[in-house]
Amino acid sequence: MAVVDPRNAGIRATGLTKSYGSVRAVRGIDLEIAPGETVALLGPNGAGKTTTIEMLLGLTHPDAGTVAVFGASAESAVRSGWVGGMLQTGSPPDHLRVRELVSLMASYYPHPRRVEDVLRIIGVSDLAERWTTKLSGGQAQRVRFATALVANPDLLVLDEPTAGVDVEGRHEFWEVMRGVAAEGKTIVFATHYLEEADAFADRIVLIARGSIVADGSVTEIKAKAGSRTVRATLPGVDLASLAALPGVVGAERHGDAVVLSCTDADAALACLFAKFPEVRHVEASGGSLEEAFLELTAEEDSTRPAEGDKS
Amino acid sequence: MIQLLAFGRFEVVRLLRSWKFLLITVGFPVVFYMLFLDDRSAGKVIAGTVPWRMYLMVSMCSFGALVASLTAAGARLSTERASGWARQLRITPIPAWSYVATKIAASMLVILPVIVLVEIVGAAFGGVELPFSRWVELAALLWVTSLPFAVLGVFIGFLVNAETAFPVVTALMFVLGYFGGLFTPVANMPGALRTAARILPSYHHAGLGLALLDGHSLGVEHWLVLAGYVAALGFGVVVKHRIEEARGIA
Repeated sequence: MAVVDPRNAGIRATGLTKSYGSVRAVRGIDLEIAPGETVALLGPNGAGKTTTIEMLLGLTHPDAGTVAVFGASAESAVRSGWVGGMLQTGSPPDHLRVRELVSLMASYYPHPRRVEDVLRIIGVSDLAERWTTKLSGGQAQRVRFATALVANPDLLVLDEPTAGVDVEGRHEFWEVMRGVAAEGKTIVFATHYLEEADAFADRIVLIARGSIVADGSVTEIKAKAGSRTVRATLPGVDLASLAALPGVVGAERHGDAVVLSCTDADAALACLFAKFPEVRHVEASGGSLEEAFLELTAEEDSTRPAEGDKS
Repeated sequence: MIQLLAFGRFEVVRLLRSWKFLLITVGFPVVFYMLFLDDRSAGKVIAGTVPWRMYLMVSMCSFGALVASLTAAGARLSTERASGWARQLRITPIPAWSYVATKIAASMLVILPVIVLVEIVGAAFGGVELPFSRWVELAALLWVTSLPFAVLGVFIGFLVNAETAFPVVTALMFVLGYFGGLFTPVANMPGALRTAARILPSYHHAGLGLALLDGHSLGVEHWLVLAGYVAALGFGVVVKHRIEEARGIA
């Protein structure tokens, strides 16, 4: 699909804040997303993912800061049909059949996909004549996905799209999304499933307590959290001297084994062999994204400015 | 425009499919009218020139339009807002006002058969005799002037939630019905209530219909008050809609 000039601008959010009463849901988010990027907003519940998404969609007005979507305001990007979304809440209206609901959504957009194609791709062709109120949780979620997909927008914003979907359904969902991403569409999705962000996103924006705590590729995030791990058998060694090795940020003992958390595993290994020649059974592993996630989101910070500006 | 038509078409389809709702909405005023029909009072004349049977039929048209508006929009809208559908529409290219406009239009659509049905009962059982053109004029007049009721219904739909919808709608039906003089002629009420009736849209709606049948001119006061209600309630709907949008509810 031809990409017109203003859409090359991608998405730019600057200094977003939003409070609900005394709850500061979003405390200064800066985010720049290039066209065609697939970005995961990852964070624990209550981190501010949904509020951020609502501001990108123009559903919620930020208290401060601005959102530009393809060079326009979020609201006018939505009005122009450039943006499609899938919200976390909301059930379809009653007295409509699945096919009718999807057709209705298709009729709102300038370049919709074919309704039949979408129903088939999402695997709900057999539900086409079903009343929208007579669907199971997983089926309803698929239909909701169908309404977002049929819009065929340049930017697809999904708030926890696979919540309540079984493993198989989740697989199928991301399979479809890969196709959408391959068409060059920009995709932003919120999730608290690490493996989804890991497997599907080009880039992860880690949000905690309303701020961006990390922003980068999966490997960058893992490295940033200092969660490369070195395990070794090293009986009777002083933990403090291990922790003092270059590149090591933490040391633990499990019986005869020690576990080192490293920011620079290469430097740590070199010094480990030099200082403790008796060391055996050395293995180094990349820390899991989960460890990085826990470490980065657990940091005590309430006033630190966001680090999300990818310049 | 095509988008709006598609949206409106689906609204109508949904409305027609909720036939139980329609049956009750359209049937209730008719049954109510039948209960009021009483041979003993048939010959009565109220407030000088208006025969009782004409008063009763016009009143029941007004009451029916009121009931249809409050239930069609009021109760259903509050449920729909709770479901989050209104919110999902906000992330589509459909302009925000079209949601409200479609709801008002759908109410107007339900009101028309109510008025026609009450007229048919009036002609068949109510002892009202009119030339055909007068029936059509009356239906058209009462239908068009039902707009304040339709806007009221949407406004109430924005004010109440699923829990408060029923009591609020019921209370409004009877307050506007009784104090607007739809069950007992305002002329038979004590002075204070007679004054109170003049600020209610129900009184002026029925007043227009009675003036038409009575051969009087359609008083300016009736039109002004009804137009005032459309403006005020319409403003209320817009304000309420904006507030909910800003809060991220709608």
